[in-house]
Amino acid sequence: MNIAAHQSKVEKLEALRARLDPLQDFELWFWSGMTAGTHAVNAALHHARATRDDDVFATQPGVYLVPGADGSLTPAFHPLGDVLHVGRPKVEGAIPADVAEMMSAMEIVEHHRDPCLREGVTPTQAIVTECDAALGRCLRLFRERISMGASR
Amino acid sequence: MTPEQHRAIAERIERSLAKCSPADYEMRIEGAMLAGTHWLNASLHASGVTGSGNDVMHSYLLTVNEYRRLCVAAESLVKALSEIEDLRPPFVRGNREGGEAAAQRAVALLAWLRAAGSRAATHQ
Repeated sequence: MNIAAHQSKVEKLEALRARLDPLQDFELWFWSGMTAGTHAVNAALHHARATRDDDVFATQPGVYLVPGADGSLTPAFHPLGDVLHVGRPKVEGAIPADVAEMMSAMEIVEHHRDPCLREGVTPTQAIVTECDAALGRCLRLFRERISMGASR
Repeated sequence: MTPEQHRAIAERIERSLAKCSPADYEMRIEGAMLAGTHWLNASLHASGVTGSGNDVMHSYLLTVNEYRRLCVAAESLVKALSEIEDLRPPFVRGNREGGEAAAQRAVALLAWLRAAGSRAATHQ
């Protein structure tokens, strides 16, 4: 997806996340942050020309919904565009240091995904603080990169 | 996780969903997927189709064999979850038009999953 659309998703998701209570609403608070961070990573990868910014929508690694001439969406194999999660799939080739740092920050967030959302681990303030700091770092680096303008 | 644990998390997510506006369609779809998965697991555990240590994470991560087996037990529920999951690429990861209507559909499917999950947990 194109960079501007990813940016718009990040802003929307951040606004919602700010309205949620990190502990009482942990699941949606966490998921909106994880989704925002993944959009930011995808936009940064496109900006660095490490992945393609085609308007096709990821369903599983290597498979995207591709719009046809009649507007319908068809699943098809497609070169790497948006990743589903950081590391899914792995992005081959050179990645600028700031984008690699964004991805590392998101790995910290992702580490809590299955335990807290699917395996019954009770979220704690320490987990909230760690996720919040990691996402904050990811989004700060994203904004710095985008504010620099042209691809680097 | 036990049916009761699944139920508690699903209900918590649904309380958070009430804080979303129609414009927050991305998280309404994701929340419906997350809560719906917990209701499906509650239902499958309560009916003895799956054990509490064997949770469905996403319908598309099941083996074909297991997908078919679960459909024998609860086809409408498995298909409801699949339909919610199919809304994610165009409207959550992508910027396809129609996100609010898609989220409304996801929430309706969640209601179906919740009704079945609650019923199963009550009668176990």
